[in-house]
Amino acid sequence: MTAKKWITVLALLAPGVGLIAVMIGTVIYMAVAQSLGYYSLMGESEFSFEFWDKMLGRKAYYKSVRFSIYIGFFSALFSVALAYPLAIWLRKPFNGSLLIGAVLKAPLLVPGLVAAFLFINVISYNGILNQFMQWIGFWDAPHRLQNDRNGYGILVLQTWKNMPFALLLLTGAVQSISDDVLDAARDLGAGTMARFRKIIAPLTISSMQAALVIIFIGAVADFSFQVIAGPTNRQSLAQFMVFFKDSGRWHDAAVVGVTLMAVALIGSALLAFATRIILKGGRIK
Amino acid sequence: MKQATINKILMYSLITVCAVWLIIPFTMAVLWSLVDPVEPWTADKLLPPVMSTYRWAYMWENSSLRPALFNSYVLAPSAAIVTLLLASPTAYALGRIQFPGREVAKLITLLPLVVPGFVTAIFFSSIIFQLGLHAWRFGAILFAHSVILMPYAIRIMTVSFEQVRQDHIDAARDLGATTIERWKVAYMPALKPGIMAALLIVFIQSIEEFAIAFIVGSPSFVTVPTLLFSTLGQDFVRPNAAVLALILIVPNVIMMLILERLLKSANPSLSSGKG
Repeated sequence: MTAKKWITVLALLAPGVGLIAVMIGTVIYMAVAQSLGYYSLMGESEFSFEFWDKMLGRKAYYKSVRFSIYIGFFSALFSVALAYPLAIWLRKPFNGSLLIGAVLKAPLLVPGLVAAFLFINVISYNGILNQFMQWIGFWDAPHRLQNDRNGYGILVLQTWKNMPFALLLLTGAVQSISDDVLDAARDLGAGTMARFRKIIAPLTISSMQAALVIIFIGAVADFSFQVIAGPTNRQSLAQFMVFFKDSGRWHDAAVVGVTLMAVALIGSALLAFATRIILKGGRIK
Repeated sequence: MKQATINKILMYSLITVCAVWLIIPFTMAVLWSLVDPVEPWTADKLLPPVMSTYRWAYMWENSSLRPALFNSYVLAPSAAIVTLLLASPTAYALGRIQFPGREVAKLITLLPLVVPGFVTAIFFSSIIFQLGLHAWRFGAILFAHSVILMPYAIRIMTVSFEQVRQDHIDAARDLGATTIERWKVAYMPALKPGIMAALLIVFIQSIEEFAIAFIVGSPSFVTVPTLLFSTLGQDFVRPNAAVLALILIVPNVIMMLILERLLKSANPSLSSGKG
């Protein structure tokens, strides 16, 4: 490539990729620098591990890390596990499959906060779910379902919101598998599970990894679902970070922010790696 | 059992589940937004005893709904236009020029999706504080929305630029078309659906974006999502929250339907009228 062409390419990339790299790069740099004592908004700025030291001594910090990983992992797992059979079922068009696809993807249109509101409306103490369970005689009295201690409510919400996204990615991947391959496997005596394990899963692994990773990153950094529907005795990492920021403790917020980025990055890599390892055994050699 | 029968059973059961999943929550929201304060809707009543549009009028008159709607609906189209303008040159380079490091550049465009939203929001607000720009909230949020939503616009526009047919450009050139005319006759017909799709998707994402609007905008700059969030907090009044939730979702559904039509028509040969 000539120097002139390079200059043209760089000039074209500058407002898009360039701006993204500068802004996100600065955000990451700021988070790391503030976690190490720099850029203090109040007081002196100097290099120090003090904020990390103090944070690593807090029980609430570990609790928050564990809780965020738990929400991120299970949200990704449930969304993909639910989306797979639906994607396989919708692989070939049939009467009504378009309607089903549209209904299943509908939660994509619902903003997260609205989803959280709809959910707490249904599960509230005097809400329709409690009323229904009493009406069918399953429960004698209403149960307190909102802000449950184990975060099951958030997992339901996350799965509701993210399953359509996983479905979108997996449907495309599953549809691209040719009939010949599946027919050949069937002719060789492979049952439904064997076809999934040995053909469908390995051939759609990239989409599965993409869905798992993107859902994991979103759910691990969840703030709004946690604040509205999550347990009151635990905090997600994003909630913990906002708490410090609101108290003016930017360095502590930065430590939690860097942790959140590290958890998102390492967690995504492990998820993608684990998926490959698990499915490797099922590969056709 | 035949495959068709299995499909039928599965379809009916799924539609039932989805009806429960979608229709009940939304019906509840609509009913809650119509509860008249004269008589509350208690657990022993199937429907609200008195229904009116009082809550809608109340929210319009007495909450920050008007400034929130104004802010959201000025911010989102501005973000859509700015994002498209910033994304298009990069998309052109990624879609039509072969250069070393193109795949790396494509990966870098995904950065805003990989860094958690609240981390971006908090440390972006920290940068704004450091630069002393915290009073300029609208501009800061507009800038941040344009950058974090750029991956969508770059991706859509890159595909659109890839779909512009070289023979159309060459034909226009052979017939003596100037650069602007070539853009008009060869590029624009193929790019149009992509441009509309990019504008709409950034608009929708900006309307519902919460983290940056909440962190950078607090406390003076209100958008519909931040207002809904505050309504769901300590001063939770269910009927008021229902009004806001419905206001937030209705334009989304309409625009997503338009988007779906646009994406279906995003075929360059169809849109340019040439096979």
